[in-house]
Amino acid sequence: MSGDAGAVDLTGFLTLTKREVLRFLRRPSNTFAPPFITNVLYFSVFGVILGERVGTITGVPYILFILPGLVVLGAVSNSFENASFSIFHGRWNEYIHEVLTSPLSYAGMVGAYVLAAATRGLLVGGLIAAIGWAIVSALFRPVPVEEPLYLVAFMLVITLLFASLGVIGGLAASDFDDLTVMNQFILRPLVFFGAVFYSLEDLTPLLRDVSLLNPMVYMVNGVRYGFLGVAEVDPRISLVVLAGMTAAAVAIDVLLFKRGYGLTD
Amino acid sequence: MTNALEVEDLQKSYGDLDALKGVSLTVPEGSFFGLLGPNGAGKTTFINILVGLVRASGGDARVFGHDVEDDYRQARDRIGLAPQEFNVDRFFPIHEVLEHKAGYHGVPHDEAAERAERALKQVGIYDKRNTRFDWLSGGMKRRFMLARALVTDPDLLILDEPSAGVDVQLRRDLWDLVTELNERGTTVLLTTHYIEEAERLCDEVAILDRGRVVTVASPEELMDRGTDRVVVTLRDPPTSTAPLSAVLPGDDRIEDVSLEEGRLVVTARQGGLVAPDLVRELDRAGHEILDMEIKRTSLEEVFVDMTRHDEGDEDGRDDADGGASDDAPLETATVGGGEGSR
Repeated sequence: MSGDAGAVDLTGFLTLTKREVLRFLRRPSNTFAPPFITNVLYFSVFGVILGERVGTITGVPYILFILPGLVVLGAVSNSFENASFSIFHGRWNEYIHEVLTSPLSYAGMVGAYVLAAATRGLLVGGLIAAIGWAIVSALFRPVPVEEPLYLVAFMLVITLLFASLGVIGGLAASDFDDLTVMNQFILRPLVFFGAVFYSLEDLTPLLRDVSLLNPMVYMVNGVRYGFLGVAEVDPRISLVVLAGMTAAAVAIDVLLFKRGYGLTD
Repeated sequence: MTNALEVEDLQKSYGDLDALKGVSLTVPEGSFFGLLGPNGAGKTTFINILVGLVRASGGDARVFGHDVEDDYRQARDRIGLAPQEFNVDRFFPIHEVLEHKAGYHGVPHDEAAERAERALKQVGIYDKRNTRFDWLSGGMKRRFMLARALVTDPDLLILDEPSAGVDVQLRRDLWDLVTELNERGTTVLLTTHYIEEAERLCDEVAILDRGRVVTVASPEELMDRGTDRVVVTLRDPPTSTAPLSAVLPGDDRIEDVSLEEGRLVVTARQGGLVAPDLVRELDRAGHEILDMEIKRTSLEEVFVDMTRHDEGDEDGRDDADGGASDDAPLETATVGGGEGSR
């Protein structure tokens, strides 16, 4: 060993995390331009144009109501995409072998991929919040942050959760099309039916009960509680459940790395 | 002395295909060890088990005493691998790729940067340090693979077909560098299709065929198992070998005597040792020798013979001994000069 095992693992973990973060920071046109343009459109079309007709939901202007959901949408999809793409691309071109043949522990490898992907999710989420803040503040009133600790806690948990799920996606994918399928046909429908653009109170009792099976509802609800201080589901329970899901997803990631799933012959 | 590599009964199956069928090997620390075998012999599978890219189906492998699965972190930290395939991070300039690789091995950033610089200078591509791997020429890519293996300062350097597709000058440069590293104590495990490289560089070679070790020996020992040809030109050659047989020494190393285009051809194991006796006996019998050549068998011929398969031969040939074919142009020696130089 180049040093004691713990020091090697920490240095290796930090190196891999830095590598993963630099990979997306050095490509701002890939990382930040698409969510910037998409969310300017969302806020303009849904928030400003349609929002005028919708009026208020749960006592807040529609554009303000959808802001937390759009932040969640951008944060989780970027967390998932970053982890899944980075791992799958590394597998596809086999340069993930640089990591796999190193003395880095499996937990260290997973930790770096998850942390870097969650960082991307947080940055994109922050970008979307800034866009929303600029538009909402200009047209209506400043965007409140009623429960900042909850907001931070929910954002951390959901980005870590989707980064962890992205690791599984990156290991399971056998083609780039698989990544597209995961994102477009699983992730986005869950987000769109996760009460981003509507209130659960507007649904029939049956649809409301079905919606409560969608974990995205709790994420959007929790982030909305952080911004607006209003929640349709108890945020404390949501946070505990989501934190548990995140821990389980990370544990699965480590197990898959240890078993070489998608990585070794 | 600790062995760099100890492998016992290593097995790997892919469904019905047995890629490794119980490989056992020991590579002493500090040695230059060659792993030879035809395509599909299991060489890359063997190497990939050592570095954790393939999981063994059975058996044990230890790198400097560390089990490659149970103590995978310690084992991998001792290994530097230059694989056949270009599996390099395409997102970053090559000096950063090296810094990252060193970092994964626990080398702090500043030292990693120094090591990256040193490794790039060692392989002669320092001026390309800010270039991405995809923009390097084929030869530079191969040099970079070696630099990446060296940047972690490995105790066991594994080179999997490192000179495939590179020109003669680069190959010489690579071998000079690797030889120097070996002389400074780095254990080298080499697979190559260039048999003459193994012949020139390796202390010991293992011939792997169809997932089994056919033999392990020094190149010299292996070549001694092949048959040499001692070709003698006589002033008045006889018309048959009968009178010559009488003057030849009763040496069981001699396998055949024939006349080819008026020249005496003696096929024998260790032809260089047979030749002086042959000269002496011919001289004693009154024959005047005008010229003599010793066509030494090569490692390549021994290799080909050991890995040759008859049609329908499922398991291949496990016999470690066997004569080499005798129709290839080989090194020559002058009369009384003994064996041809390697």
